[in-house]
Amino acid sequence: MTPLRNRLFGAAALSFPTWAYVVFFFVIPVAMVIFFSFGSKPDIYTPVSTEHLSFDRFPEAMTPAFLSTFFATLRISILGTILCLIIALPFAYWIAIKVAPARRGLALALVMVPFWTNFLVRTLGWQIMLSPNGFISNWLMSLGITHDKIDILYTHTAVQIGVVYNYLPLMILPLFVAIDRSGQKLREASYDLGANKVKTFMRVTLPMAMPGVISGCLLVFIPLNGDYVTATVLGGASGSMVGQLIAEQFNAAQNWALGSAMAVVLIASTFIVVGIGFAVLKTGQLITAKANSIPITNGRA
Amino acid sequence: MTTTATADATAPPQFEHLEIQGVKKSFGDTTAIEKIDLSVKKGEFLSLLGPSGCGKTTLLRMIAGFETPTAGHIYLGGKDLVGRPPHKRPVNTVFQSYLLFPHMNIADNIAYGLKQAKVPKPEIAERVREVLALIQMEDFAGRKPEQLSGGQQQRIALARALVNRPQVLLLDEPMSALDRKLREEMQLELKRLHTTLDTTFVFVTHDQDEALAMSDRIVVMYDGVVQQIGSGEDIYANPSNRFVAGFIGKQNFIPVTVTEIDESGATLRSDNSMMRTAHLEAKAATANTAASTTALAKGDRVRAAIRPERMQVTPADDSAGSRPNTAKGTVISSSFLGDVVQYMIRAGTNNELLARVPAAQARLFEHGEDVALSWDEDAVAVFSDD
Repeated sequence: MTPLRNRLFGAAALSFPTWAYVVFFFVIPVAMVIFFSFGSKPDIYTPVSTEHLSFDRFPEAMTPAFLSTFFATLRISILGTILCLIIALPFAYWIAIKVAPARRGLALALVMVPFWTNFLVRTLGWQIMLSPNGFISNWLMSLGITHDKIDILYTHTAVQIGVVYNYLPLMILPLFVAIDRSGQKLREASYDLGANKVKTFMRVTLPMAMPGVISGCLLVFIPLNGDYVTATVLGGASGSMVGQLIAEQFNAAQNWALGSAMAVVLIASTFIVVGIGFAVLKTGQLITAKANSIPITNGRA
Repeated sequence: MTTTATADATAPPQFEHLEIQGVKKSFGDTTAIEKIDLSVKKGEFLSLLGPSGCGKTTLLRMIAGFETPTAGHIYLGGKDLVGRPPHKRPVNTVFQSYLLFPHMNIADNIAYGLKQAKVPKPEIAERVREVLALIQMEDFAGRKPEQLSGGQQQRIALARALVNRPQVLLLDEPMSALDRKLREEMQLELKRLHTTLDTTFVFVTHDQDEALAMSDRIVVMYDGVVQQIGSGEDIYANPSNRFVAGFIGKQNFIPVTVTEIDESGATLRSDNSMMRTAHLEAKAATANTAASTTALAKGDRVRAAIRPERMQVTPADDSAGSRPNTAKGTVISSSFLGDVVQYMIRAGTNNELLARVPAAQARLFEHGEDVALSWDEDAVAVFSDD
């Protein structure tokens, strides 16, 4: 055995858990879904057949019902990601900067503990709160803000509230890490140079926290786009998401080919939205960099 | 403009440029600064010198506005800065760890303060180029901080502060992260910039050589109390207490007993030497005590202090130790430092004395060799023993 082979074998063997996890639980299942999306359902007892491959399942999937749910899902995911970002940004800033270091662990734990509780149980909790006889409705009425019972359970609004609640910790944590890393000392340098707190946030803290913003948005948007538990519990019939339609094809209709085609459409749309998001971000950064930079090249202002 | 030209009701006219009055600072139960009064002249290079934990950085941070004094006032040009947030103070800081903004290039880092002050863009560009030329780093404008060495980053940090033309430039141990050679270069650079720009510099350091080399005046601090303020020469030659005597330069402290007092001075005796001094008072250990001096009395135990360079080392002779201002000793170690030879000499039971003699005129004594030490009467200073 040459030392090189030795080294390669060693590295591959040591990283076995990583690559095995990716291969068996990600690459193979996704490849199968993509493969099945070109298949068909031959008869009512067989979920999928790949004897004759075609693109026919894709037009078949594009029913008006699917498309309206699909766009409603995109709206919920994009709006949900933006809402999570808007809520998480001041929250993470507060934990990273305002909370005394001794109490920071506690604040983070309070964010994490609900997150570790069963997803379904937490969502069912919201079902109770959002119901017309739930306490949110009762409070709003007793405070005189509304006169009638609020009736938002089993609507897109309920799903929207539910997903923001469920995915918020995934936004707060990376933002906290990023803001924490930008550091008190750099903020002091900024104050020292005449920037107030808002300017310091905009010019130093936020730009330095951008990696956290990006990873937070990805961590929220991608799973949210495919979520179907929240929609099942809080959305009812009128507030459904694409994830539910796909699950229906796999579980109830036993049409894996059609379900796979829908899943591929969902995955592709996720990629496209993320791609557009990055393009918008980069353009924004270029524009602000242009607006803020002082062009200093030799001999020219 | 050393005094306030505009008549300000709260500011007496004898105010210096930067005036620190009765400033105290405590964090919870711990007192960081006892009470400090300090005047800094316009265009002065003032160093705050002391060991870590002496309160020098806290004082600097109070001038910058990062800490609020528990009591007292800090006037700049006659206006009280206390209560004003850092971004509204006409001072800028050069930080120990540079703290350049990693996501901006060098030009944008330097322009940051000017942008906050809403200086027009063409003027910003002009001033950034000017300051880059001043530190001879014109070619670095487009680079990111991470592409620069530590020394270069520190010069950019200096430029980023100076470009705002602060009324006072605060420097928080700006060279402690640099290696010795770079540090010496930076010292010269800083001195040159100070002369060119005529800006007031307040420089925090724990390095006495650095303070001596660069400052117009030095403020020696210890334990939250100002021990002495004066020029380097003054502090070195006339330390006001035992702490300053030991902190600035090297010092031999010899435990002695006062055996005789007459009108011309006192006779002091250690276990193997006898010395005369014209001093009739012992200076205190630190400035933290109420009395700065105590009169000597027969039988008092005090400490005599003699600078190593005031010691003369000669071949052993029998009368050493019985004549005044002499001692017998044995060389424990000798080190050749280029311009001087430094000897560690055991004199008496547990006294090790340091002597520095010019290398050119010295005959080299060897390890274990017996020698005689002698010094002039005016080399002896007397400090209290407690």
